[in-house]
This record gives sequence, structure tokens and C-alpha cells, in this order.
Amino acid sequence: MSKLDYPKLQETLYHEVLDNGLEVFVLPKLGFTKTYATFTTKYGSIDNRFRPEGQEARSVPDGIAHFLEHKMFEEPEGDVFARFAEQGAAANAFTSFERTSYLFSSAGDPLASLDTLLDFVQNPYFTDENVEKEKGIIVQEINMYKDNADWRVYFGLIESLYEKHPVHIDIAGTEASVRSITKEQLYDCYHTFYHPSNMTLFVVGGVDPQQTLARIRDNQARKTFEKGGSIERLFEEEPARVRESRRVVKLPVSLPKCMIGFKEAGPFPEGEAGIRRELTTKLMLDVLVGASSPVYQRLYDDNLISDSFGHEYNTGPGYAFSVIGGDTRDPDELVRRIGEAIDDAIRDGLPAASFERTRAKKIGGYLRMLNSPEAIAGEFTRYRFKGGDFFDVVRLYESITLDEVEERLRQLGDASMRSVCIVRSDVT
Amino acid sequence: MQTEVFQRGAVGRMRIHVLPTTRFKTFSLSLFAGIPLDESKVTQVALAPFVLRRGTKSYPETIQFRERLDELYGAGFGFDIYKRGDYQVVQFKLDIINDAFVSSSQSLLQEALRFLGEALTSPALEQGAFTAKYVESEKTTVQKRIESIINDKIRYAAERCLEEMCRNEPYRLLALGRKEELPSITPATLYESYRRWLDEAVFDLYVSGDTSLEQVSAWAGQYFDLPAGQPGDYRAAQIRSAAEEPRTVVERLDVGQGKLNLGLRTGIAYTDDNYPDLLVYNGILGAFPHSKLFIHVREKASLAYYASSRLDGHKGLLTIQSGIEIANYEQALRIIREQLEEMRAGHIDEQELSKTKAMLVNQLKEIQDSAFERIAFDYNGIVSGKQRSKEELVAAIEAVTSEKAAAVAAGVGLDTIYFLRDLKEEAAHVQA
Repeated sequence: MSKLDYPKLQETLYHEVLDNGLEVFVLPKLGFTKTYATFTTKYGSIDNRFRPEGQEARSVPDGIAHFLEHKMFEEPEGDVFARFAEQGAAANAFTSFERTSYLFSSAGDPLASLDTLLDFVQNPYFTDENVEKEKGIIVQEINMYKDNADWRVYFGLIESLYEKHPVHIDIAGTEASVRSITKEQLYDCYHTFYHPSNMTLFVVGGVDPQQTLARIRDNQARKTFEKGGSIERLFEEEPARVRESRRVVKLPVSLPKCMIGFKEAGPFPEGEAGIRRELTTKLMLDVLVGASSPVYQRLYDDNLISDSFGHEYNTGPGYAFSVIGGDTRDPDELVRRIGEAIDDAIRDGLPAASFERTRAKKIGGYLRMLNSPEAIAGEFTRYRFKGGDFFDVVRLYESITLDEVEERLRQLGDASMRSVCIVRSDVT
Repeated sequence: MQTEVFQRGAVGRMRIHVLPTTRFKTFSLSLFAGIPLDESKVTQVALAPFVLRRGTKSYPETIQFRERLDELYGAGFGFDIYKRGDYQVVQFKLDIINDAFVSSSQSLLQEALRFLGEALTSPALEQGAFTAKYVESEKTTVQKRIESIINDKIRYAAERCLEEMCRNEPYRLLALGRKEELPSITPATLYESYRRWLDEAVFDLYVSGDTSLEQVSAWAGQYFDLPAGQPGDYRAAQIRSAAEEPRTVVERLDVGQGKLNLGLRTGIAYTDDNYPDLLVYNGILGAFPHSKLFIHVREKASLAYYASSRLDGHKGLLTIQSGIEIANYEQALRIIREQLEEMRAGHIDEQELSKTKAMLVNQLKEIQDSAFERIAFDYNGIVSGKQRSKEELVAAIEAVTSEKAAAVAAGVGLDTIYFLRDLKEEAAHVQA
């Protein structure tokens, strides 16, 4: 077990890699009543073509990582939610592009719930019948998102940005792909991606690190795993340009929703360089169009945007894009004005004072996040999978320069790398 | 572990509640202002905080106001408007870093209280009224907010079900007010109503962090320019019983998935001694993944992704919500009503009871680890007129029996069945 001190943050992190390859982190929070734990596999919706070491390459149906997440909760003796409930622990899970995370939150006996968490995720139980039964539930989940305008505009945008990269595929898949999933495919994905060496356990809260690690070690020592092999993830080559420059979706909304996407061409740096690029880009977007920017204020005064207006940056293996947008009475005018604001900023540069103020705001926001066990566990794991250190963020922010921020701004300037997605009621 | 308790005081019309703690990296501030929910005031009360966040006396331009927050290490500032019992509550929140973590030359808590006090009581004015351009622009913002409810069909169905169920009482109103009323509001009338609100509302200021009641009271007295007087009190909400026969409302929109929402009245509210029984009732029925609704609607019948019940303890209302295939309406409704009947018949096994109690106790204990949740829990006691400590509530939940939970069912009445569905059948009918 190694101990990492972060005196400026007043946090201490304990770390160990178990014999079977599982990475474990424990962050004790003095005085906290609850414990929050996430058990995460580096496996998400984009991993739809892969080659396990020494085996043939294969393609699997869209939405299978998410389907697997649903099915893990079923055990021969019934639903695992019931076991957590007996322990007074609330369990949940989620699937993203690159990760599937199982979690619980408990103010009771966290060590008992840690056993439950490890045991259910390490005990797949799929039958033809229980796989079939899940399909109706997942189809309703897909239908729920189909009626959700925010989801549709965001995924519509990714679809118009990307043609080959599986990031453009809905995390839950389609009704047809979900209907085609079999228990054999689920077991195959499970055995490929749920090996301990492809997973990370993060525990945060009112726990004793030694006791916690001992309990996890004991739990893992009771189980045998074959030696974990490497997994090669196969991605078709993504064209540099956007798939389409404009997409319109019809759905009943009070005002059109409009998002502008900015696709980046590779290569995409990994490790600390990748994290630095992510932080720098988010900082740049905030200086450019954040709520305290002159651009935001002018657009708001002209009734082109509302409080829903925002920005984000999303990046993972083989993809990176920025998004700016929100609800607007006039999507075309908003797109024009954002384009103009980008051109102006590239020409005139970004004000140093806004850069400094925004940097202070980002550091403050990061420190505030450290009050939240949920946010720490989620973000720490995300950074870890990218090869970075979540507790190093303040140092990175402090070392980012205005030049770097402006360099990130310039990559928004290429209009051929932009797509617009609009959701509106009145499509003709 | 040391027990942290709220220290209480008052400055003029404002009660002060301070939770001294070193567990968090921040100071968390919440200011609650409650006023009886009233059709003639609801829109103006809702609009005022939107205008207040546009500028203050010291930071009259919105951009200055926001830059100031950024300078304070990105202090998180926001507000929310909601209904609690028979009150319309405006809550301002401010979350700011404890100075210990940054190299700040000023006391960030002092600056936070100065900022919040000014935002609430010293707004940017012109000619003795609110700034006209801010009022006009925020009228548009509130209108858009109200209209945008339809964009989220889950929320829309929930609001519509409540509106139908409470159509003869003020609780039908949205906390954001009535959009028809917005055009007639002027900077002068809004300012007048804001001044009256400052005179009439009940104010509670909460601060959690490494500080003391004395320190917060001194700064609050300095920076909050509230009218003189004594703190006000909240009255318990009026609780109605359900209609004799449930009423069914079907609404059609261009949707793919149907939303089935049921509105029920329980006859029990937060102030009642059997409120813990109601919490357990709701837990067994539909609050958790082990609850009857989740098991029967989702796991056994595969009809839905979500099927749950939610309690509004201040008004004694219980709502059930599910997203289903439109053709499965009858089946889903039948299964949901069967679960209500199971509760009434007292068909509650020991497992359901013990799991539900464990989950409720866990939720209450977890509140301790979030400053804002602790504040919200404490304020629930203030706004309902019945203070109940977490320990008391935990003990009361642990004492609930199956019989007590089933006894709650006797008073639970299904009032409204609301179904949001597609346009298809109607279109076919028109063509024929």
C-alpha cells in the first residue's frame, strides 16, 4: 500500500495494485458519515470492436456495454438491489462512452457493502430468459431519451460530427441492436472487459484505509481469475472533416435548441498532456462565452440566449470536440454571432484579466468539488483512465499560460470542422 | 466524532442559523425567504430574484456582478424558487472556498455575506425603481422558463398532474408564477412588490463552515439592509383529502413514450406524528429499487424503465410516475393500482419493511455529509412549523411496523390519473 499526501488540498490518498491486477484507491474523509465507492471497468459504448489477446477480432451489437450494466444486477438468488437495501446502501450504475461504473453509497457498514459490490460485479449471471426480459425495459429507456430534447440535440450533434468513430452511436444502442443481443455475447464482453486488471475500485468517505484495503484484499484472494490479457480496441479511421455541417431534428419544444460542435483532428495526447489540453480548452471556452464574458452578456441582452446557454469539451480515445449552445429564438443568428465572436477573439486575443479571473474561478470550482465524494470518485477514475492525476489539477491550472489558451482558441477557427444541430417543433 | 449543532440567533427580521464545522473546504450560505403562496403575488415574487441577480448598488452592471463572483474564487451563486406547504419560497445559495485553501487577502466569508446581503437588499436601481432593461429582459427569461417545462416530458407530466389534482387551490400554481401576468409588470410595480416582500416574508439565513454565530451575526447585521422587526413564523399547511372518485385526464402531444402519472392525497403531512409511517409507506410502495412499483411494473412486467412514487411531505401529496409504451396504459395502470391495493390490504412482508427502513435511515444519515443538505433538512423543520432532529426521525422510522405502514393506506386516496400520450389515434380519427 502506498500513501500519497496532498497537503495543499488536505487530502491523503492510499493506493494499491492487487495481485490480480485490480487497482484500489481509498480516500478517507475525516468526520464523514457516509462511504461512497465506485467499481469501474474501462469499457464503454465505444468499445464495440476489439481483439482480446490471442483471440480473433470481433464486433458486438451497439448498446451492449449498457445492456451488460443492467444485467449485472441480477444474481441467481435474485436482485442485488435487495442485498444492498438490507445493508442500508443505495446502489446504482452508469455507462458512458469509455467506462461502466457500479457504485454504492452507505452510512451503514461500508465494508459489507464493498463485499456486495465486488461480489455482484464479479459474478455474471445471464440466462436466455433474463436477457430477454431486460429488452423491454431498455427499449423504454431508449424511448424516454428519444423524447428528451436536450439529449436529442446533443447526440444529434455528435452524429453530425462523427461518421466512423463509435462515439456517434447512442450509448444504449437502438431498439433493433438491443433486441439482437444474446447471453453469449454478454458473457464474451464480460470476460473481455471485467477482468480485475481492467478495473479500478475507488472508496471515499468515513473509512479506515488499512481496514478497507485488508477487506478488499481478502475478498479478491477468495476468487481466482485467469491471467488478464491485453485488449486491443479497434477503431475505423475517422475522416478529419465533419460528417455533415447541419442537422435538424423535429420534436415539440418551446424554443429551438441549437448546439454548435467543433471537431478536432488528431492526434490526441494522452496522460498529463491530454488532461492539460482538456483543462486549457475548458478554460478557453469559459473566457470566450462563459456567463461573465461580454459575448454572453450581449447575446443575452439581444434575447438570443437564456440561462440554458453553455459550453463543454468532451474527449476520449480518438475523439475530441467542443460544444457551444443552448435554447434560442433564432438558431442561424446565434450560429453567426458565435462564429463572429470566435473570429474576433482570434484576431484580438483574449484579455489577460479575464483569463486570470477565470483561472481563479476554475480553481475555486475544483476545490468546491472536493466536498463531494461522488464527484471525487467519478472524476478521479476518469482522470486515471486517461493516465492523469485528478489531485494534480490545481498545479496544472496554475501553470497554464494565456498563450496556450489562445492556441486552443485558434483551433475553433476552422469553419469546415463545425457542425450545427437544431431541435425545433416547426420543421418543414 | 464531535456532534455539530446549529447555533441560533437573529438579526432584526432574519433568523440566523450557523453550523460551525471544519469538515468542508467551503462556507455554504443559504438564505430562505418564504411568503404564503398567493395567486395575486406569485409572479412578482418569482420575477424579483431574476432581477436581483442582474446587478447591485456596488455592481450595477451584470458583468461586474459576475466578475465579482469569479474573483471570489468562482463562488457558486444561484437561486431557486419552489413551493413548500402553502408557501412560495425563494432560496439564494452561495458556496465559497474557505480562505485556508487559497492565498486570499480578504475574509472570503465576509465578502460572501457582503455580496449576498447586497444582492438581496441593495439592488441596482434607477429613479427609485428596478433597472428597466433588467426587468424587461428577466420577464422574457421567466416566460421562457415557464414555457420550457414542456421540453422535458417527465417534468411536464409531473407538473400537469399536480396542476390537475390541485386545480381548486393555490398549490396548482407554478412556483415560477403565471406567464399571462408578466407583460403587465413594470419596473415600478415590481419594485413596490419587492419592498412589500422584504416587509412580509419570513427570512432565515444559514451558514455552514469554519465560523461562529457571533461572527456571522455581526456581518449579517452590517450587510443585510432589511426592515426592522422580529423574525416571522411559518404556519402548518392545509391538508385535503382525495376526491371520492379519481378523475382521469388524458393529454396528447407529439411524443413517442407515454407518461403515466398518478396523484394521491395521503391526509398526513410533515407535522403529523405519523409522518414517519408515511415515509415508510412511500418507501415500500415506490421510492426504491426494492419497492413494489419497481419490482412489479419494471422487473416483472418489463413495462417501464422508471416506475416510482414520490412524497411531498409538506402538502401530504404522493405522486407515482412511469414512462410506458402507449398501448400498455391499461396494463400499467392496473398493476400500479394493484400495488396500492396490496398496501391497503397490509400485504407487506418483513423484508420489504426492513429494507425500506434501512434505506430511509441511510438517507437521513447521509444528509450529514453535505452542508446544503443539512441546511435543507433543518429548514424543512422551520418551514413546516415542526422541528424534528435527525435522531428523532431515525428513531421514529425504526419503530414503524407493517401495521402502522398499512394503516397509512386507509387515508391514501387516488385523486388524479394523468396520461400524456401521442397524437396518432386522434390523427387517424380526423382522417376518417
